[in-house]
Amino acid sequence: MSDDIESRMRAALRPVAPREEFAQKLLAQTIVDPPARSKPRDFTAAKLRPLAWWLTASLAASLVLAVGVHRHLEQQRMQQSGLEARREVLKALRVTSQKLNLAYEAVKSQSEKSGV
Amino acid sequence: MSKYTLTLLIALLAPGLSWAASGPKLTIPSFAGLAQKASESVTITLDPAMLGMAARFLDSNDPQDAATKDVLKGLQGIYVRSYTFDRDSAYSQADIDAVRSQLSAPGWNRLVETRSRKSHADVDIYIMVDHDRAVGLAIIASEPRQFTIVNIVGAIDLDKLHRLEGQFGVPKLDIDASKAAKPAQK
Repeated sequence: MSDDIESRMRAALRPVAPREEFAQKLLAQTIVDPPARSKPRDFTAAKLRPLAWWLTASLAASLVLAVGVHRHLEQQRMQQSGLEARREVLKALRVTSQKLNLAYEAVKSQSEKSGV
Repeated sequence: MSKYTLTLLIALLAPGLSWAASGPKLTIPSFAGLAQKASESVTITLDPAMLGMAARFLDSNDPQDAATKDVLKGLQGIYVRSYTFDRDSAYSQADIDAVRSQLSAPGWNRLVETRSRKSHADVDIYIMVDHDRAVGLAIIASEPRQFTIVNIVGAIDLDKLHRLEGQFGVPKLDIDASKAAKPAQK
């Protein structure tokens, strides 16, 4: 039984020589097919062109954004420095006036004592 | 005398004073030791660039800011060092002398020297004058728990300072500005 199956399988799977027109059809198909092989090149050119455009646009936008942010931060830093300088000036004048006041009070007190 | 102010005194004495060779900017020591000991310290260094920047942020429509801006116009620097301590005599006379010695240089003139036995506060005011214009001002104030040095460099317009009276705690001094024009020799 098993021998029968085996022999039937062998018969079914035996090497068979191709028919004559097979080689011709295959060759014909191969000649017709070349454009199909060049498809990936089309994909690269056609698909990458908008991608490159978007990439360039994104880079340009990023650059503009970076410059804008930098300028904004620089302005903020300048403003902080300016306000800090203003505070320092007012503080310096306040300390100066306190000491002038101290001297003034002493001079005034001495003048009053001497009855001038 | 009591009606006159330190500002008037400065204005009267200023024209007769001579120009200095040492310059109006003092070399203020770092006072690192004092800063460590102090419970509170104020270190203000305003060079021309900082003063210019500060002036841009003063509002001309605000009277106090406008007056301050006006005062800053001729200034080239404001330097303040002030140290407050928790106990008396935390600083030495040598600390004061380091600055005071510079004020004995030609050009600097002591206008006011006050010694208060009551408050133990000593205040010395020095001025440097060039061509009838004050170009430098120095204040050394030593109190039991506080030591302060102020050095203002540049054309100090006394009339403009006068306009700051009543602001920043500057006493209202009842100065007749016209009297300030009267020259006097030291």
